[in-house]
Amino acid sequence: MGGKRRNNEREAMEEYGDDVELDKKEKKKKMEKEKRREILPSMIKNKEKRSAVHAKLKHEKKVEKRKKLKARDAEEKRALELGEEPLPRKIPRTIENTRENDETVCKPDDEELFACNDADEFSSIIKRERTPKILITTSRFNSTRGPAFISELLEVIPNAHYYKRGTYDLKKIVEYAKKQDFTSLIVVHTKRREPDALLIIGLPDGPTAHFKLSRLVLRKDIKNHGNPTSHEPELVLTNFTTRLGHRTGRIIQSLFPQEPNFRGRRVVTFHNQRDYIFFRHHRYIFETKESKTSDSKGKKGKDSKGEKISQQKVIARLQECGPRFTLKLRSLQHGTFDTKGGEYEWVHKPEMDTSRRRFFL
Amino acid sequence: MPRTTTLECPGCPPLRALTFDSLGLIKVIESRVPQVVERWGDPDPSKCVLAASIDDRKKDPLLAVARKNGEVEAVNPLNGEIHAVFSNVGEDGVQPEDDAISGLHLFRRERPSGKALHASISVTKTWKVCGSGNVLCSKVDGSENYAVFGGKGVEVNLWDLEDCTKIWTAKPPPKNSLGIFTPSWFTCTTFQSNDDHRKFVADTNSHQVHLYDISAQRRPVLSFDFRETAIKVVTEDQDGHTLYIGNGSGDLASFDMRTGTCIYFD
Repeated sequence: MGGKRRNNEREAMEEYGDDVELDKKEKKKKMEKEKRREILPSMIKNKEKRSAVHAKLKHEKKVEKRKKLKARDAEEKRALELGEEPLPRKIPRTIENTRENDETVCKPDDEELFACNDADEFSSIIKRERTPKILITTSRFNSTRGPAFISELLEVIPNAHYYKRGTYDLKKIVEYAKKQDFTSLIVVHTKRREPDALLIIGLPDGPTAHFKLSRLVLRKDIKNHGNPTSHEPELVLTNFTTRLGHRTGRIIQSLFPQEPNFRGRRVVTFHNQRDYIFFRHHRYIFETKESKTSDSKGKKGKDSKGEKISQQKVIARLQECGPRFTLKLRSLQHGTFDTKGGEYEWVHKPEMDTSRRRFFL
Repeated sequence: MPRTTTLECPGCPPLRALTFDSLGLIKVIESRVPQVVERWGDPDPSKCVLAASIDDRKKDPLLAVARKNGEVEAVNPLNGEIHAVFSNVGEDGVQPEDDAISGLHLFRRERPSGKALHASISVTKTWKVCGSGNVLCSKVDGSENYAVFGGKGVEVNLWDLEDCTKIWTAKPPPKNSLGIFTPSWFTCTTFQSNDDHRKFVADTNSHQVHLYDISAQRRPVLSFDFRETAIKVVTEDQDGHTLYIGNGSGDLASFDMRTGTCIYFD
C-alpha cells in the first residue's frame, strides 16, 4: 500500500510540469482515491460492520447508476422532441466484445477452407448425396431421465433410430452401424441417472465429438410447450467462428436432412456462445400486428413486411417444443471412437483456460 | 483442422520450417515473424501428403514428397520447383490408395532418386519387409546402410540395405502378469544418433517408448510410458541422446535416453 502511495506521489510531481487542467483532474482523481481508500470495506475486521459498509457502498453505486440512466433517457427524449439527434449510445464492454484475437477464425474468402470442406467427411451428406440416418444408443446403464431424453431426441432428429445398448463394445457398434449404412451414431451417456455427455460419431470414418451435456429441460417441464410435427426442421447454427467451430458446426449439420420444409415452420437452433452450444427447438408463426386498430392476428404469411401504409408490423411468435439443453465440446477426435490409439484434433485441457476472454469455438 | 507433419531444416536460428498437409499443400514458415511465407501447390485432397524426406545439402538440396495418389515428387525446398515425379503403382496392380506409402527416405549418395520404402516397393529394388501386417514406420540411419521397420503386428526389424537382408528382429514382450498378450503396434521409430546404427527407439500405440540395442539383447533395453494416448512421432536430437516425442492428444516432451528422464514437457 505504501508503494502505491509513493508511486502516486511521484506521478504527481511529474505532472506539475504539465497542463494545469490535467493537473487539476489528476488531483481530483487522487483525492477521490484517497477518500475511497479510507473507507474500503476490506480494511474493517469486524464482519458485521464490514458487511454493513459494503452494502451501503453497493446501494450508493446502484442509486448513482439509476440516476445516470434516467438522465440519459431524459436527454434522449428531449433531443428527439426537439428534433435533434440524440447522443449515440455507448457500447457496453462485454466479454464477447473483448474476446482474445484468434488466428483460426474462418475468413469468408479462404479457399483452403472451401477445399477442406469439400474433402472432409461430411461433404457427401451436405452435398445431398447421402441422406442422414442416425443411430441413437446409450451407455450401458440407463435409467430415469435417459430414456425420456432419447425419446425426445428421436422426435427432434428426423430419420433417427434407437437401439438398446446391451453389452456391446462401442467399437463393435460402430462396425454394425457401418454395415447398416448409418451416417452417424449418437451415444447418450448417463451419470447418476442423468444424461451428462453426448458422443457424436460420424460414419464411416468420421470424427468423434465428445460433448458435455448440461441443463437438460424436458418438454413436459417447459411451460406452454408445443408438440413437434414431423416436418423437416430448419437448422440455425450461429456464432461458430473458428476453424474448430466450423468443423463442429458441420458435424451437427450432417445430422439433419439438408432440405428443410419451410412450410412446416419448425426450427432447431444451435447457438454457440462462449464455447457453450445452446440447443433450442421451436415452432414459429408469422403474424401481422396493426399498431393502431385492434384487428390483428390470424394472418399467416411472410409478405407485408414492406407495407408502410397502416403501420403493420410482422412479428414471429415462437412456441418452444422439445428439449432444451447445453453442450460443451470436450474433445474432437479424428477417426471413429478410439480413445487409446486415436489422434485428437482438439482436446480441452485445463491449462488452455488462460484467460476469461479466450474461446475456441 | 488438416493433419500436418513437419520437417525441420537443421541449422541456425531463425528457423525455417516446411509443413505438409492433407490438402497436398507445402507451406514454408519462417520464425522471424512467425507466419506462412510461401505456399506451393493447389488444395487437392487426392494429393494428400503422406510422407516427406529432405536431403539438405549445400548445393542443390532436394525434398522428396510422397502423396496419396502414389506419386513421389522431388522438389527444390528453396523455391518449390518440381524436379521429377515418380509414380508408385505396384507391379501386381495394387492401387496406390490401398497400399499407402508410410515412409520415405531420400538417399544422399549417388543420384537423388527418391526411394519409397514400403512393404513391397522401391524404385530400384523390391523386397517384402514382412509377411503379414502393416508396416507403419521406417527409418534409415545416418550412414544409409541400415533401415529399421516396424508396424502393426510387425515386430521391429533391422535390414541391411546393401544385401537386402534382415539382420535383426526384436522379440515380442513377455506375457502380462494377467496372461493378456497385447500384439505389438509400433507407430514410429528413429535411430538414436546418426552414426550408430545399433541403437534405435521405437514407440508403440500403447504409449510406450522402447529403446533397443542390437548388440545387447532382443528385448528393449529401456522402456517407459508416456501419458495415455498413442505416440505418433519421435525424432532424435543432434547430440545423440535427447529424444523428442509427440503423442495423439497434443503433448510434446523431450527425454534423455541415457537415463530415461523427462527434460521438458508441454
